[in-house]
Amino acid sequence: MKKMFPKLTASLAVCSMLTSASFAAADVIKIGVQAPITGQYANEGQSIDNGVRLIVEQYNARGGVLGKKIEVVTCDDQGAAQQAAICAKKLVNEGVKAVIGSYTSGATEAAQTTYNRAGVLQTSDGTSDSLIAHKYWTFFRNSFPNSAEAEYTAKYFVEGKQYKKIVVLSDYSSYSTDLADATVKALKAKNANIIYEGKIKSGSQNFTATLTKIKSMDPDVIYFSGYYTDGGLLRAQQMQLGIKADFVGGDSNDNPDYMKLAGESAKGTLLINVPTPDILPYDIAKTFLVDYKAKFNMMPASIWSLMNVDGLRAILHVMELSKSDDTKVIAEGLHALKDFPGITGPVTFREDGERIGGGYMTYEVQADKSYKIVYQ
Amino acid sequence: MDIFLQQMVNGLTIGSLYALVALGYTMVYGVMRLINFAHGDLVAFSAFIGLSVYAQIFGESVTSLVAVITVFVFTAAIVAFVGVLLERLAYRPLRTAPRLSAVVSALGAGLVIQNSVMLIWGPNMKIFPSNLFPSTIWEIGGIVITFTQVMILGVSSLLMVGLYFFIHQTKIGTAIRAVAIDQDAAKLMGINVNRIIMIIFIIGSSLGAVAGLFIGTYYRGITFDMGWMYGLNAFVAAIMGGIGNIPGAMLGGLLLGLFNAMITGYISTQWAETFTFVLLIGILVLRPTGILGETVAEKV
Repeated sequence: MKKMFPKLTASLAVCSMLTSASFAAADVIKIGVQAPITGQYANEGQSIDNGVRLIVEQYNARGGVLGKKIEVVTCDDQGAAQQAAICAKKLVNEGVKAVIGSYTSGATEAAQTTYNRAGVLQTSDGTSDSLIAHKYWTFFRNSFPNSAEAEYTAKYFVEGKQYKKIVVLSDYSSYSTDLADATVKALKAKNANIIYEGKIKSGSQNFTATLTKIKSMDPDVIYFSGYYTDGGLLRAQQMQLGIKADFVGGDSNDNPDYMKLAGESAKGTLLINVPTPDILPYDIAKTFLVDYKAKFNMMPASIWSLMNVDGLRAILHVMELSKSDDTKVIAEGLHALKDFPGITGPVTFREDGERIGGGYMTYEVQADKSYKIVYQ
Repeated sequence: MDIFLQQMVNGLTIGSLYALVALGYTMVYGVMRLINFAHGDLVAFSAFIGLSVYAQIFGESVTSLVAVITVFVFTAAIVAFVGVLLERLAYRPLRTAPRLSAVVSALGAGLVIQNSVMLIWGPNMKIFPSNLFPSTIWEIGGIVITFTQVMILGVSSLLMVGLYFFIHQTKIGTAIRAVAIDQDAAKLMGINVNRIIMIIFIIGSSLGAVAGLFIGTYYRGITFDMGWMYGLNAFVAAIMGGIGNIPGAMLGGLLLGLFNAMITGYISTQWAETFTFVLLIGILVLRPTGILGETVAEKV
C-alpha cells in the first residue's frame, strides 16, 4: 500500500498538469503519451513519459514546432487493454496529432484501431508481430520485431561463432515460443545443425534433468529464448553439471536478476539484445542521457523508453521538414525517412510501419558482471 | 550409463526435498486425519524467513558453517512456532467439526500465509546469496555432484532416519503412535492429545523449514507462490507412499523425484507432470492405501 501512493500522487499531478495546461494556449500542437504510469510496468511507463516531456521541453525552448508550442497529454493505460481503449478515445478527443506508446504490445494493439479511424499517428515499442498485421497507415513501430533478433542470432551462430551443434530451449510463453521458432527458422535457412529443440517449464527451478539429457549430446551452444528468472538458473545448473557449451540468452535474459541467480556462473554468458542505454555509441544518445539524468536524477528504465523517444523525434523532425501538421503528410514523410539519426540508431520505416534494422549486439558477461560487446 | 546415474542423482536430490515436505503432510494426516494444505506455503515462508534471518544476523558477506547452522536453527524455530500457531487458530477450533470445514480452513490458512509473504517481502523473486555453501563440485566416473546436493541428501536422510527412531524408540514417539491409532483411548491412557498434536506440528513445520531453506540455497530464486508447486508434489508423494505412513512419505518423495527426472530426461518435460498424475491415479486404483499403506498396521 505504501508503495502505491507516490504513483498515485504522480499520476494525479500529471492529471492536474494536463487540465491547467490545456487552457493555457489555444494554438498549440498536442502530443499524446499512452503509457503504463501505474501498475506492474510503472517504471517503464514513467520513463517513456519523462523522455517525451524532456524532448518537448527542448523543442519548446527553441520556439516549438511550426511556430507553435508543443503540449504533452498523458493517459495512464496501466498496461491493460481495457484501460488502453479508454485512453485512445480520451486522447483522440483531446485532439492530439500523434500518440507515443504504449509500452506493452497488448495495450498498444487495443488502441490501434481508434487512432487509425481518427487519423492520429501512433508509435510504439511493442515487439509482437500482430502490431503491423493491420498495415494501418497511422502506426509506426519504433522497436525491432522478434524476427529481427532471430536473424541476428542465426547470423552470429553460423557466421560469427560457427557453432556445429546447437541446442535451442524455450519456455511455454508466447513470446519465448515465438522467438525460439523464429530463431530455429532463421538457423535452418542458414543450414545450421540444430541437434535439440526443447522446452522447459518456467518457474519449475529444477532443470537438471533436461540439462543432463543435453549433456549427452555434447553441444557447442545452448540458446535460451525465455526470461531471466529461468535463464539464470539454467546457466547455474549447466555449470554445475559441467556442460562446457556456451550459453546464449535472448533479450529477456538481460536483467540484473539474471546475474544474481546465476552467481559466479554468470561469467561468460552471452546475451543478445539491442544496446543498453548507457553503451549506445551515438552522440545524440550521450547528450540525451546527460540531459535526462540532469532533469530526473536517474537513468531511463530501459532502452524501450528511448525507442519511443526516437518515434517522437522522427515525427517532430518530419513536421518541421514538411512544414505541415497534417497527419497524412507526416505519415508520408515518415515513410520517406531514410536513416534519420536516432538515439537508438538510424530510423527507417517500412511501408507497413515496421522499423527497419536491428542494431542487436552480443554482450559477454564479465567476472564483475559488466558487459563486453563481442559481436555487432 | 553415466547419463542414467546422473539422472538418478538429480532425481534423488529433488526427491529428498519432496520427502521432507511430504513428512509434514503425512504426520498431520496420521494424527488428525486432516490434509494440511497450508504446509506448502509454510515451506515457501521458511525460505523467506531464512533469507531475512541471514541478512539480519550476518549481513551479506559472512559465510561459515556456524552461520549456516544458525540460520537453519533460527528459521526452523520460527516456522515451528508459526506451525503451532496455525494449528491453534485454524485447526483446533474445528477438531470436532466435519472434515470438510477443516480442509477449507487449511486452504484458507495457506492463502493467508502466501499473501502475507507477498505483502511482507513483495511480489518479486528474492535471491539467496550464492556462497552459503562452498561451490565444490565432485566428479566421480562422469557423474557430477555438488556440495549442496550432498548436503541435501545427507541432512534429509539423517533427519528421516532420526524421525523414524524418534517415533519408534521414544516415549513421545509411542504416544504419537497411540494418538494416531485412537485419540479417545489415548486420552484415557493419560496422554495429553493437544500436546502431542503440538509436537506433530513442531516436527512437521521444522522439516518443512529445512526443505524450504534447501530450496533457497540450491535453486537460489524464491517466490512467494512457489509453495504451491512443492506442496502439490509433496502431497502426491505422501499419497503415493501411503498417507499417514512415515516411511511411505520418504519412499514416495524419493520415487516421485526419480520418476520426474527419468520422464523429463528420457521422454520430455511436457509429459513429466502428466505421467506423475497418471502414476498417482494408477497407484490409487491398484493400491488405494499407497505403496506402504497396507503392510504397516499402525499409521502415524
